[in-house]
Amino acid sequence: MKILAIETSCDETAVAVVEGRRVLSNVIYSQVLIHKKWGGVVPSLAKRAHEEKIDYVISEATKKFPLEELDAVAVTQGPGLAVALEVGIKRAKELADKYDKKLISINHLEGHLYSPFVQNSRGSPAIEFEFPYLGLVISGGHTEIVRFKNHLDYEVIGSTIDDAAGEAIDKAAKLLGLGYPGGPVMETLAKQGKNKDSFNFPRPMLHSRDLNFSFSGLKTSFYYFLKKNPPKNASEIRQLASSFQEAVFDTIIKKTEKAIIITGINRLIIGGGVSANLYLRKKLRDLVKKHNGKVLFPSFKYLTGDNAAMIGVVASYKANEGIYVEDRQSLDRIPRMSL
Amino acid sequence: MKFITHNLKNTEEIVKKTIEVLKNGGLVVFPSDTVYGLLVDAKNQKAVEKLIKFKNRPPGKPISVFVPNLEMMEKYVSVDNRKKHLLKELIPGPFTVILESKHKVESLLESEKGTLGVRIPDYPLITKLVGVFAAPVTATSANLSGRSPHYSVESLINELGKDKKEFIDLVIDAGKLPRNKPSTIIDLTEPKVRILRKGEIIFDRENTFVSENPQATGKLGEFILAKYHDPKSIRPLAIIIEGDLGAGKTVLVKGMGRKLGIENIVSPTYVIYYEYGSFYHFDLYQIEEVDELRNLGIEKLLKKGNILVFEWGEKVAELYGLLKNKADIVYIKIEYINEKKRKIIVKL
Repeated sequence: MKILAIETSCDETAVAVVEGRRVLSNVIYSQVLIHKKWGGVVPSLAKRAHEEKIDYVISEATKKFPLEELDAVAVTQGPGLAVALEVGIKRAKELADKYDKKLISINHLEGHLYSPFVQNSRGSPAIEFEFPYLGLVISGGHTEIVRFKNHLDYEVIGSTIDDAAGEAIDKAAKLLGLGYPGGPVMETLAKQGKNKDSFNFPRPMLHSRDLNFSFSGLKTSFYYFLKKNPPKNASEIRQLASSFQEAVFDTIIKKTEKAIIITGINRLIIGGGVSANLYLRKKLRDLVKKHNGKVLFPSFKYLTGDNAAMIGVVASYKANEGIYVEDRQSLDRIPRMSL
Repeated sequence: MKFITHNLKNTEEIVKKTIEVLKNGGLVVFPSDTVYGLLVDAKNQKAVEKLIKFKNRPPGKPISVFVPNLEMMEKYVSVDNRKKHLLKELIPGPFTVILESKHKVESLLESEKGTLGVRIPDYPLITKLVGVFAAPVTATSANLSGRSPHYSVESLINELGKDKKEFIDLVIDAGKLPRNKPSTIIDLTEPKVRILRKGEIIFDRENTFVSENPQATGKLGEFILAKYHDPKSIRPLAIIIEGDLGAGKTVLVKGMGRKLGIENIVSPTYVIYYEYGSFYHFDLYQIEEVDELRNLGIEKLLKKGNILVFEWGEKVAELYGLLKNKADIVYIKIEYINEKKRKIIVKL
């Protein structure tokens, strides 16, 4: 069964054609350059760019796989930017109507949880599912720990109560004058600073009994620290970047370890933009080693960011179960959709 | 001792039964926006004496009263224009204000200086009851003097011996109340406003509150929303929040959402705004130019019933122009005092 998947939840216009777990074609138009000068994702610009590019991205993705020959259309319903989600949903409905295809709605976070299982067109990697997993989605807009019990069966057991992990890193980068997006440059500087934790910034909620995160207090304390002690040279900036990143990652690792202990699940799935950070990957590998478990990361680099391939793969499992949108007209975006 | 459990449907019955008991000089355990309280008719000497005896309250210690509105308040205490102005900031809410008594309630409730504590709670069951009763009732916490207040009927009853239980005529059980501290007590009888007891929300001076921790900032968010959100208004409500990074803006907004039953508010910085039904939470931190503001489509959201909250709203001067004439605007400024403490200023 071949599925066309559309994803426009934030700042990437993405379309893919998948068959089961295999990605037959995948096209992403990234808006990062558009938003860069604003220091973040600007909704109206995102909407406009999605509208301008979506037809082109669809036509590129379907070049070898004409729409007539596909079996269903899948689209991200949320969470994300309301005005951006609308663009993809509108187009998905139109295509489903025009070509008389079934429509499947997908939660963006499900996509990230399936991203380690996404295969290229030749069916690689060939890993099998070994449920249950503990899923972590860590990105600019999300920080969630999920008990991933079986296909399409999730339970959120921890999430941020204020800022997302990636958002906190972006804000710290902005405060250090490093521009947007902040993740990659913070990773590089931290590495140059030998990932040392010289300043020991606070780790809010580390000792709370639940699995929720909070990064707002860390950001506040970083901000006032910089006000009192503005960095005098590049080496100090490296130390600050390194210490901040360490505070965020340390929190993620400790909470994940708590989740492993509470649930008894030692197989991890990591998704979302922050999972591209190699130092975080190392920390997670060390963690699962300690607990005799495993960790899976998105199978290809493009899968750490937003993409339609992962949406299409989830849609394949939904189609297997016969879960389609019943009432197309009333399908609406859900900006704060939860799993 | 009779018990009635409060549910969505029996407000009328509770008001009727409670008034019967109050009229006969009885003592009622009643829920409130803070802790469980002890209600007696504030004009009935025997009833007040019974209350004092029940609480083991030392003589000479005053007891506050509930009134439903400013109108009734003015009948029982002196309120000049300056004070009226101040009071408007505080009612309804978790505040007890001390003013010159007009000596129309039982004198045992007043202080030796002839002042009286009055409170208009943010709790419709009480304002309704007192409105129908058409006279003040006592507003003291349901505990024995020197003991902690109670958030559930069960914990109160467990504390009482048989002799004490006999004092109570009626108990209105609203289950476990949220753990809000007892009210903040503010003395307005002297030229300088004095805080005699710190509750959840600390009032500093006109328009100004002090929050000592994030929980208190959240409570203040609930208070501000309840106070300024008028569901009957034909205009939407726009709340502009100014405050440095980490001042607690999102914490304040989470409190506002909680008052409306929205529990899943998180920072919208990454995506500029999130919508929760008719509640829109903006973060204009990333917005630098007027054009961008125009493109957000805020005008379309300026409809009756909508609530728009803007963090960093002061950054874009044009925002005010956009909202003016089309929305009821509340302006909030959060100032950093130290690591934990914030000063919060509310302007209309």
